[in-house]
Amino acid sequence: MKNNRLFQFIVVFLTVILLCGCWDIKDINKRTIPLVLGISKTNGGEYKVTLQIPVLKNESQVSKVVTGTGETITSALGKIRTNSENAIDYTQIRLIVVQNHLAHNQKEFTNIVKFLMGSEEIPSRSLMAITDENVEGVLSSINDKLGVHASSIYDFFNKGADWAPEIFSTPVWEVYRSLFSSTKDIAVPLIRSGRNTVLIFEGSDILKKGEIMDRLKPEEIQLIRVLQNKNEKGKIESLGFASIMVSNSSIRLKPSLNNDKPSLSSNLNIKINVLERNDGVTNKKIMEELERIIEERFFHILKRMQESHTDIFGFGQEFQQLISYNELKNWRDEYFPDLKVNFEVEVNME
Amino acid sequence: MRNKIVKELETTFSNQGDFFIEEELVDKTTIFLMGFKTLVDLPKSKLYIQQIEDSSRSAKALFMNLSNRINVNTEQLIEGILEGNLVIVSLDGKQNAVVNPFIQNLRSSVSEPKNESPIQSSTDAFGDDINTNVGMIRKRLTTTSLCHCSYQVGELEKRKLSMLYIEGRTPNALIEKVEQQLKGIKNDIETIDELNLQFGKRRFSPVSHLFATELPISAIHALKRNKIVLFLDNCPFALVFPNLLWDMLFSINDRNFPFILSFMLRFFRVIGLVATLILPALYVALVSVNPEVFKLDLALFVAKSREGIPLTAFLETIAMVVLVDLILEAIVRLPKSVGPAITMVGGIILGQAMVEAKLVSNLLVIVITAVVIASSSVIGMQNSLYIRLLKYPILILASLFGILGVCTGFIFTIIYLASLTSDDIPYMTFRIKKEGEIK
Repeated sequence: MKNNRLFQFIVVFLTVILLCGCWDIKDINKRTIPLVLGISKTNGGEYKVTLQIPVLKNESQVSKVVTGTGETITSALGKIRTNSENAIDYTQIRLIVVQNHLAHNQKEFTNIVKFLMGSEEIPSRSLMAITDENVEGVLSSINDKLGVHASSIYDFFNKGADWAPEIFSTPVWEVYRSLFSSTKDIAVPLIRSGRNTVLIFEGSDILKKGEIMDRLKPEEIQLIRVLQNKNEKGKIESLGFASIMVSNSSIRLKPSLNNDKPSLSSNLNIKINVLERNDGVTNKKIMEELERIIEERFFHILKRMQESHTDIFGFGQEFQQLISYNELKNWRDEYFPDLKVNFEVEVNME
Repeated sequence: MRNKIVKELETTFSNQGDFFIEEELVDKTTIFLMGFKTLVDLPKSKLYIQQIEDSSRSAKALFMNLSNRINVNTEQLIEGILEGNLVIVSLDGKQNAVVNPFIQNLRSSVSEPKNESPIQSSTDAFGDDINTNVGMIRKRLTTTSLCHCSYQVGELEKRKLSMLYIEGRTPNALIEKVEQQLKGIKNDIETIDELNLQFGKRRFSPVSHLFATELPISAIHALKRNKIVLFLDNCPFALVFPNLLWDMLFSINDRNFPFILSFMLRFFRVIGLVATLILPALYVALVSVNPEVFKLDLALFVAKSREGIPLTAFLETIAMVVLVDLILEAIVRLPKSVGPAITMVGGIILGQAMVEAKLVSNLLVIVITAVVIASSSVIGMQNSLYIRLLKYPILILASLFGILGVCTGFIFTIIYLASLTSDDIPYMTFRIKKEGEIK
C-alpha cells in the first residue's frame, strides 16, 4: 500500500514536470513589450507593421520603432518576432494606429479589425486610432519630445473624461461590434504627431460597418458623447462674450413611432459654471446663447448624418422595443433619414 | 547493623552518587534517613524531624506524626525516594515512613512568557512544575465543574500528565476518546510531538493536534470554549486539544480592546496568513508566466527593475525565501548576544549587497520582507512555521502554471487543511459544541 502511494506520487510529480511546458516561460525582462502597433501598406501592396517598443536601459531614448513587412499582418508580425533579440510579447499592446489609406478601404479595414479581434495575443481592449500621417512618423515622434515616457502615447487616450472630454477612446471590440450593428455606428479618433506634445487630436472618423462616412471636429464629437449618455463634465465652451465650463450633464430620450415615421424627443440638461464674462453680460444671455449654439450644432450634425445614412448617435438603440428585429436591420436606410428629433437644451447655472 | 530493607535500598541505589543513608538517634533507637541529596534539603529536614520528635512520645508516634504513608513495602519506598521524598526506616526495619521533606528548590518562580508577548494583559506564564500550572488555572477558574484527571505515562520514566476540562461543557464523547488515547500511551513522552502522535496519525502533517500556549488566560479561554487542556510535567506550556485554524487568528487578548480594534487586529492576521502563502508565488507567476496581467506602467516598472538579473524569477525567489528562513532559524539558535549581529549582517546582505550586485531585483526584496513580516503576525510560533512551509508548494505550482497555479495551490492548501480532523473535530471548525447542545 505504501509503495503504491509512492508510485502514485512519482507519476503525478513527473506528469507535472514533463507536461507543464514550463521551459517556454520567459521572465518579463526577457520579453520585449511593444505598446503601440501601427498598421499600414507599402506601395507594393504588402502590409507594413510598426511596433513602438519601450527601451528600458537607455535614459536618453524612451522607445524604439521596429518595422516588418509581409503579405499578411500575421506574417509581418512573425518576421519581427524572428528578427527580434528577445521574445516579443504582444499582450501589452494598448493602441493600434491604422494608416488612413488602409482605413478608407472598407474591405481592408474590416479584415484588420477581424484579425485583431481574432488574435489571441493582441488584447481586444486595446484602443484604435486612425492617422493621416505616416504611421512610422507618428510612433517615432515620441523620441524627440521632452518629459515623456514610453507609455505616453497610450496615456494620451487615458486622461479621463473630466480632463479631456473630447477624446474618444474606442477599443477594438467596440469597432468589431459596430461591424455587425444595424443601429449604432462608431467614431474612431484621428491623431497626428504634434510639435511639442506627442500627439494632437484632430477629431474622429465616423465608421459605418467598417466604412468611413464622415469626419467630425473635436467639438462635434463632444456632443455625440453627451447624446450617448456619457458625461460632458469638464468641457470648456467659449461663447465670444463669456467662457463657461460644463459641470454636469444628463440626457433623456423618448422614442415614438407614428405611421412608421420615427420621432424622438430629447431633453438635454446641462449645468454650467461661468468662468469669465464681459461686462454687462447677464446669466440669461449666456444660457440662451449656449442653448442656441448646442442646438444649432446638433441639427447640423444630424443633417449630415441623415444624408449619409449613418447613425452615430445610436438613436436606433432607442427604437428596439418599437421596431421588430428584422425591420430594425434597415434602420439606417429606411427609418433614420426620416427621423424627427425634438431636441431641447436646458441650461442651468450652478 | 543495617537491616534487610536498608540494605536492599542501598543496593538499588548503589550507582547513585547523591544517594545518602544517615543514621539518627531518636528516643534511644536508631533510625535511618534515606533520599537524594540533590532533591532533599537534609539539614532542614533533620531539624524538622527533631522538632516532631520532641512532641512525640515514642518512635512509633514519631512515624505516625511525620507522614501518613507509613509501613509501606519496599517498592513504594523506592518510588518515594525517586519522587524526591525522604524515607525513614527504623533500626529493626519493621517501621518505615515516606516523609515529604524540605526540598531543594529547583524550580524558577512564575515568570513572564518567553514565546508570546501579550499586550494589556496578565503577564504570568506557565512554569515547569505541573502542580503550579494546574494551580494557576484553578486560581483563575474557581468552579467545581473544572475537572482534573492525572495520569502517569511512559515506560522508562513515569511522566505526569494532567487533563483539565469543564464538566458539562466539553463533550463527553471527546473526553472519553482523549482519556482512552492517554491511557493507551505505551512509550515515553519526551516532546510535545510525541504526545501529538498519540491523537492519531499525522506524521507527515505540519499541523499539530495540540496548540501550545504559555498564557493561563488563553488556556482558560480554551476550557471555556469546550476544549481540553493538557499539562505535561516539566513542560511550561498548556497544550490545548484540539488545535483549530482560528486559534492562529483569534486570541482572547485581542478582546481587551474594543471590538472594532480587535476586528482590525484579526483582519491583519488574516491578511498576513494569505500574504505569506501567496505573495512569493504571485511574484513568480506575474513576473515570469503571466506578465500580461500587469497594468502597463507596472509591467514596464517591473521589467526595468529586473533588467540584467541573471537568475530566473523562480530561482531568485526560492533562493531568497530559503535564505530568509535560514536567517530566522539562525536567530533562534544563536545566543542573545550574537543574534542582533546576524540580523544586521543578514539585513545588509539581503537588502543592499544582493540588489547592488544585481543578483535579485529590488522588488523581490520588498516582497520577501513583506512575507517575513506577514508570517510573524499569526499567533503561535508553530503556526507561523507551518504556514512558512505551506508557501513552498504554492510557489512551485506558480512557477509552472502562473496565476492558475497560484489559485489551484491555494485551493488545494485549503482543501488539505479542511480535511484534517482531530478526534472527529474538523480543523476548520469555528467552535466546538457544548455537551448536549444539538445545534
